[in-house]
Amino acid sequence: MNLDGALQTFFAEAEDLLNSMEAALLRLDEGDKDMETINEIFRAAHTIKGSAGLFGLNDIVSFTHIVENVLDRARDEKITVSGDLLSILLPCRDHIAVLVENAMHERANDETCLAQGQALLDALKPWLGVAAAPVIAKQESNASAGFFDGNTGGSSDRDSWHISVRFGPDLLRNGMDPFSILRFLRTLGEITHITTITEHLPEFNDFDPEQLYLGFEITLGSNASQQQIEDAFMFVREESSIKIIPPRSNIYAFVNLIQSLPENAQRLGEILVKSHAITYQELEAALATQKNQAKALGKVGMLGDILIEEQAVAPEIVNAALDKQKKNNEKKSSPENRFIRVDAERLDKLINLIGELVINRQRVDLLASKMGNPTLIEAVTSMGNFTEAIRDAALTLRMVPIGDTFQKFKRVVRDTAKSLNKEIELEIEGAETELDRSMVEKLNDPLMHIVRNAMDHGIESISVRQARNKPDSGTIKLTARHDAGNIVIGIHDDGGGLDVEKIRKKAITNGLIEEGVHLSRQELFQLIFHPGLSTAEQVTNLSGRGVGMDVVKRNIEELQGGIEIESEMGVGTSLSIRLPLTLAIIDGFHVTAGNIDFIVPQNTILECVDLNSLNHVQGQNCVNLRGDQVPYIRLREIFSLQPGNHSREKIVVVQFGEKRAGIVVDELHGEIQTVVKPMGPIFQALKGIGGSSLLGTGAVALILDIQQLISFAINREHLRNNAFSVNIQEQE
Amino acid sequence: MSKVILVVDDSASVRQVVGIALRGAGYTVVEANDGKDALTKLDGQKINLVISDVNMPNMDGISFLKEMKQKANYKFTPVIMLTTEGAEEKKREGQAAGAKAWIVKPFRPEQMLQAVSMLI
Repeated sequence: MNLDGALQTFFAEAEDLLNSMEAALLRLDEGDKDMETINEIFRAAHTIKGSAGLFGLNDIVSFTHIVENVLDRARDEKITVSGDLLSILLPCRDHIAVLVENAMHERANDETCLAQGQALLDALKPWLGVAAAPVIAKQESNASAGFFDGNTGGSSDRDSWHISVRFGPDLLRNGMDPFSILRFLRTLGEITHITTITEHLPEFNDFDPEQLYLGFEITLGSNASQQQIEDAFMFVREESSIKIIPPRSNIYAFVNLIQSLPENAQRLGEILVKSHAITYQELEAALATQKNQAKALGKVGMLGDILIEEQAVAPEIVNAALDKQKKNNEKKSSPENRFIRVDAERLDKLINLIGELVINRQRVDLLASKMGNPTLIEAVTSMGNFTEAIRDAALTLRMVPIGDTFQKFKRVVRDTAKSLNKEIELEIEGAETELDRSMVEKLNDPLMHIVRNAMDHGIESISVRQARNKPDSGTIKLTARHDAGNIVIGIHDDGGGLDVEKIRKKAITNGLIEEGVHLSRQELFQLIFHPGLSTAEQVTNLSGRGVGMDVVKRNIEELQGGIEIESEMGVGTSLSIRLPLTLAIIDGFHVTAGNIDFIVPQNTILECVDLNSLNHVQGQNCVNLRGDQVPYIRLREIFSLQPGNHSREKIVVVQFGEKRAGIVVDELHGEIQTVVKPMGPIFQALKGIGGSSLLGTGAVALILDIQQLISFAINREHLRNNAFSVNIQEQE
Repeated sequence: MSKVILVVDDSASVRQVVGIALRGAGYTVVEANDGKDALTKLDGQKINLVISDVNMPNMDGISFLKEMKQKANYKFTPVIMLTTEGAEEKKREGQAAGAKAWIVKPFRPEQMLQAVSMLI
């Protein structure tokens, strides 16, 4: 049986469960006392354990089992999940994640890893209350094994296994032979005692020869593992009642056993005494304790009532918990019901195919308008509308809320704040904002970097904060919102802020800018992304926000995005990352320059104007647009294309973030849907081009990278105006 | 016609493993991810046997079992509980609700198939 596919499902499922487990643990950390939260954590551990067992991932099973035990006690309100326990449970969750990860990459868990697991389990011990049952011990008789040692008298033959079997009545009809099991047991060790239970044999007239009425009480001297012994009963386990008590279990395991079996307690007690499993004194003592307790409670108790604490759970508690769970679940509809899992690759394939469909539709469009048949044009137009709808629907399939990404930072902030000895709260806003899944993955690293920097260098120490009359606890806020076809992700902190003057001085010292050059605040802030500044030794009070910030900026630019900074000394810093919603298919505007087709992303376009109708600023590539000076570039010029007719030139005014510039082209062709094909590795270094696309005619069109072009236009005008530092120019 | 088995489990990987085993043995498998979902799957088709987890969100296996037994055409449909839950109490509760077999995870697929073949 090939379980590879299922195994992959398990890994994905485990990741989800671990994430929701972490989120729930953090909610508890924030003071959430809801039983359902604990239930959620328990269920996550429970499901991981159960599924891992199917794939024989024993390290995961045995570790998670103990964690689950602790959670189970929390669920039964035997223990409360306090800060101490949380700070162990969180690393436990991480350890499970490591184990899953190792399993995924088919790596063996090395000694360090196992030792870590053991250390965590040791740390959990105080919350287990009693020694945890080994994972394979499923029967209640084993659940109480090992407790209350040392209060027994007399001697018993408890170095042997005790096995109690009551076969299912249909066993013989199903072709099973009970003796074959006994024969198998003998291969594992020596059966020193066996008593056949004949209590259930009916009157002769009612006797059905095909039915099995017997049971056995077996004492087995063996070095076999519990699993091996359980395996002997593998084929009869479902329909029979089998209890296995390991060697050296205490008297209560047996008392429990007697209580759980249907036969007369006295008779069973005698059988056990006879088989040397327990001594008569022990039996008497247990019975006496039970009677006393029953008296104290004012009711006649069953033999097992004294064990209620170590028996799994009292029925009332189970029922109460179940009721509560049910009510809670009715309130919240579970996300599992609303979602299905789809392999990301299949989704990408679909998006790709739809991309091809969009291109083909344009071709049909073109042919139809050439033929000029009105009915055909109508049909093609209507098909076009549906194609667009399909495209939009397909793209939303890849959209995921950013909340999950943000959620991960709760943990990062919590842990980092602790290690920095700071108090930092993380606020999240706009978690439901959606963006393309492929972008979410690539956003993780830059976000992590920015948040860590903000915590380390942005938020001040408690003493400094007190001196500045700020609350002890610093705040980092992650926000997300949609803005004109973009998503804007903000990282705000209420820390010390950036010192513009220090940045300027540092930049001058490092030769990035020349003295006396005027730069706007924003331009100065942008310098922190310059590798020349960031890789330098840490600058005090500049928040040292430097190390690797150039990498952050590069990552964001790879996603066709940009970063803006706003900061005020002593008040805090805000970074805004602006990204397109998706990279796969965009609405574009088709233009030509020097006989080459270009596409300008629609969402960046402000307006299109005839270049000659505008007033030029003397001696510069700048036009006056309703009082604003807008720098422009000629595509023909920067891409060295054939010169054309200047008199018919048009200017497309584009905007990215706060910056505006004009792009001068020869001809405007109109809106077009574009499937973005990334540039091959050879062209990665090419500036100003973000990708390519096929037109309906089959011609290749280049998609302009508006952000780079705008920076280029602005910087060139700067340079012309005031001999702007060459270093900065190179950076762009 | 092959017999139809409803597999109820909140863990997709468990459903997949159980599904592979059952389909390999020639059964038709219908999946549900919790008790509530399972109840909706009962209507509109004939289910010959149910394999259900116990601990699930929304509606646990035992509540599902009880509700299922309320339906006239499912009163006698055999149910196998497939769970990590080994506590006797739970087992008894399951038995009282009408479960025919109780398989504790991790299980061997052959073991489960054997139980299935005994019941339908």
